[in-house]
Amino acid sequence: MPPVRSISTVDRLDKPSSYASSKKRRRRGDRDRDDDRREPSPDSEEKLKDATTLYVGNLSFYTTEEQIHELFSKCGEIKRLVMGLDRFQKTPCGFCFVEYYTHQDALDCMKYIGGTKLDERIIRTDLDEGFAEGRQYGRGKSGGQVRDEYRTEYDPGRGGYGRAINDDYYDERDYH
Amino acid sequence: MDTDVKQEDREDGRDRGRNRGGNSRKRRYEADDDDNQGRRGPPPTQRRRNDEPPRRRYEEPPVSKIRRLLLNIASSTNLPQDEATYLAQYLSEHYDDEDARAQFFNLLPSLLIEQPFKIPFAAAVAFYANDVKPDITAEAIKCVGAHAQDALNTGEWREFKLLLRFLACLQSLYQDDGIFGFLRQLFEETVVDLQSAKENDVIGIELVKIILLTIPYALVSGGSRFHGQAKDLLGNTQIVAENMVPIEGLIATYATDSEDKSFAYHSVIGLLQQQLMNEANAGWRFACIPRFDANVLKNVNDEESLPNAPPTYTFPTFVVPSPVNPGAKPIFPEAFFSLFADTESETVPRKADIACSLLRDAIVDTIDQLDFNREAAAKFLIDIDCYWSLETFAKRSIAFDKFRDDPVNKGLFKSEDMIVDGIFSLLFKLPNPDHKLVYYHSLITQCCKQAPAAIAPSLGRAIRFIYKHIDIMDLELANRFLDWFSHHLSNFEFRWRWTEWTEYLSMSDLEPHKAFILSALDKEIRLSFAKRIRSTVPNDYHYIVPESLEEGNDPEFKYADSSTPFAAEGQTLLTQFRKKAPDEEIQATIDKIHGQAAEQGIADVLVPSTDVFMTVICRVGSKSLSHFLSCIERGKNRLISIAQSSDAARRQILTSVVEYWKDHPGTGVNIVNKLLNYGILGPMTVIQWVLGDQLGNGTILAKGWVYEMVATTVVKVTKRNRQIASTRLQKGLPQDQVKTVDTALAEGRDSAREMFKYINDALAGVTQGAVDGLQTDPTLSQEDGELIRAWGKRWQTVFLRMAQVEESVIGVDAVETRLKILAVEDEVASQPKHDGNGVEAVANGGAIMA
Repeated sequence: MPPVRSISTVDRLDKPSSYASSKKRRRRGDRDRDDDRREPSPDSEEKLKDATTLYVGNLSFYTTEEQIHELFSKCGEIKRLVMGLDRFQKTPCGFCFVEYYTHQDALDCMKYIGGTKLDERIIRTDLDEGFAEGRQYGRGKSGGQVRDEYRTEYDPGRGGYGRAINDDYYDERDYH
Repeated sequence: MDTDVKQEDREDGRDRGRNRGGNSRKRRYEADDDDNQGRRGPPPTQRRRNDEPPRRRYEEPPVSKIRRLLLNIASSTNLPQDEATYLAQYLSEHYDDEDARAQFFNLLPSLLIEQPFKIPFAAAVAFYANDVKPDITAEAIKCVGAHAQDALNTGEWREFKLLLRFLACLQSLYQDDGIFGFLRQLFEETVVDLQSAKENDVIGIELVKIILLTIPYALVSGGSRFHGQAKDLLGNTQIVAENMVPIEGLIATYATDSEDKSFAYHSVIGLLQQQLMNEANAGWRFACIPRFDANVLKNVNDEESLPNAPPTYTFPTFVVPSPVNPGAKPIFPEAFFSLFADTESETVPRKADIACSLLRDAIVDTIDQLDFNREAAAKFLIDIDCYWSLETFAKRSIAFDKFRDDPVNKGLFKSEDMIVDGIFSLLFKLPNPDHKLVYYHSLITQCCKQAPAAIAPSLGRAIRFIYKHIDIMDLELANRFLDWFSHHLSNFEFRWRWTEWTEYLSMSDLEPHKAFILSALDKEIRLSFAKRIRSTVPNDYHYIVPESLEEGNDPEFKYADSSTPFAAEGQTLLTQFRKKAPDEEIQATIDKIHGQAAEQGIADVLVPSTDVFMTVICRVGSKSLSHFLSCIERGKNRLISIAQSSDAARRQILTSVVEYWKDHPGTGVNIVNKLLNYGILGPMTVIQWVLGDQLGNGTILAKGWVYEMVATTVVKVTKRNRQIASTRLQKGLPQDQVKTVDTALAEGRDSAREMFKYINDALAGVTQGAVDGLQTDPTLSQEDGELIRAWGKRWQTVFLRMAQVEESVIGVDAVETRLKILAVEDEVASQPKHDGNGVEAVANGGAIMA
């Protein structure tokens, strides 16, 4: 019972992103009026309440496990690290899953590492319900991440140009 | 998101603290410069409406308006006093709106706790409300008082302090002595009891700190009629504040025998006591605390039907639990640390000035309370000049030489220096700050992002100062600095003016400044890659990052060289392991090694075979950590049986790993850590390997990775012990588990003691010059010998401290004290409460891990 923790005066950075709920919301076509009161669907909240795994995105294809380990172990000991791979070539395709031993370490990682740089790129972190076999592969047609298929800007760290534009972000997370 | 955390580069936003009040009242609440959107929020088109400034012809509902006004108080160019009076009036007009009222009283305590800079302004709202709607003031005092009592019950000392500060800011509204009566009682009853009951009591110290930090706010509000009481209180606290407890000898930032007085140890509380006594002599000015005109609303509404004299209140009654709940986090005395205090340029308050403690206290609380949103924390820090009296800070982001040379700035402080000073004081807090160190890293990064032109130069001066004195800095802190420095640079293209430090390159690798450079570059490479780092340093440094380190160059496999003993077997085993050959085949190769070794007269034949086996695992697993781990999985059983059958072979596992990864020591350290997790190695093996087998003449103590290996191993042990202790202190631990846990705790405690003793003995050998070669090695110059002893001394301090800290957390006495408190709580919880429904126990959680 921390006495006064009922409401925060500023947002928390260790909340799951709106990835799952935003999709639903977009489909519904209306937005909740107050973000503070917006809760992820009970389902996803339940799944993430003890989450120890993070999805890490926007990595360079060249970033190694050792580099990831070096940075992410600043938030706690890492239990498992799964690199995201191109489905066909089995080479890194710019994302990974980092699993900690404790939920608190994962939350701290959201707060302290998400949005900072690794290998000179701003990386993004998101709480994840846990790695399952198959999810390490990109879901794009070419084998990589969907976002890289359609990217118009040149990104030397992620294989150069994409092809067309699509705002759908890291769909591979739906891959179970 | 309710805070403006946008890139703070607008010229007009730079100086809001000092130019406020210039706007006409008419514009005031329509000004759109209090943009409420956060960067992390959705893109502009999706911004939520509630917290945006009201649009024309849209009347903002009171609930959201109250929220906006309260949370953003004192954050804009408006006069805070106008904002406070406006909010007080607005609230009084909507006091019948239940939702609006609830909004205010729900938010108020959160605001006080999360945004301590705003406490005086929130108190001003309650103060002005007393002139228009005293119910608000009464409810505010009651509500904050209740939360403060909760904090007192649970030992949440920081929250208690902040809530009490709000109450102190209303001192002029209380009957009789107001808060001074309570402070006196807190000292005379609680502190005196605690201190007399236990030698080296630390809770009493914490309470005295709270008392001392409350006095200034109470005096600013209460005025001169309380000067006498404040002075009496100070007379009482002196003896506690100036006393030193033993552990303080181990928490100094700099080596205490250093000759330079500016590095002398000061406790936070001792300094505070001294500053308040100075302030008493100067007539209690407290110049930095913001002031409010008490009569604003009285004058405005003179003709209206206001009551003649606004009501006064009795100060809330607090019950200090007995025994006092020490709180979930272990408490230690605090060392004061400043990079800039008492330097010639006076960019921050002098150590004798009470502003030093008042500002620092609010800064570190802001930082630590907002760890869940570093963007907001950085924003409040950068806006610090909004929250103190106008004559506190110089113009934002003023250049250092301009600040120093322009007499206008006399007596003012440079806000960026204060921010940097405050963050580093936490990064360098011993034994540990509240949050993981990486939080403070990311906060510094965030400040640099939000106000690059302002923060970067201050940070540069900080780095130079710390580096300059790195040789006398506590070794744990020097390593924190190392870790921060490399991580920080990795966020800013690895830009640093290395040419400034070129002179150190010619020194011995044992020289602490040189050693720092070597370790820093290694850490940079770990976060990036050698070729990249090589491109960021001048040519003089290239020999530290040789081309051989660059990617694609696998570490050398020594058995590839046929002159290496057992080369043929090494290559055979490599092929077998790669092909996942059956265990019998691998055993055959190993038997072959054993046979040859025995012929050569090698006493422990397991040593050469283990070297081959482990080196092969390193080789096959060298592609990535995952590859290594899967190799370990395959070799695990064999390694465990090796480790169990021979001491020498067990340590050979370590030797092989470290030797294979000698050019990438970080990978070696990491792998050793995994071997501990797999239970292949025990912590004591690692310690003995480093400080026994490998110690030699002590040269290795200068290497960053060696410290890292020992420190992470020790922390692994202490962390586990703390987990066991916190299991023991769980509420309602079933009786049948108590014994098991107690046994585990006793064992853990004993092995930790044994480990610390081993470390201390080994290091004592170095400091006393007794280890092999320190005195006899002809290649070791006298200077190097001195340097090695100095390293030994710094190492020793770190692990002595860790040992004492652990004793104070998981020692027999410490655990028993907490068990007693737990028992009392259980008793309280089992008694029915007055209202009948009461199993609502005071949750202490028993968790002693922060």
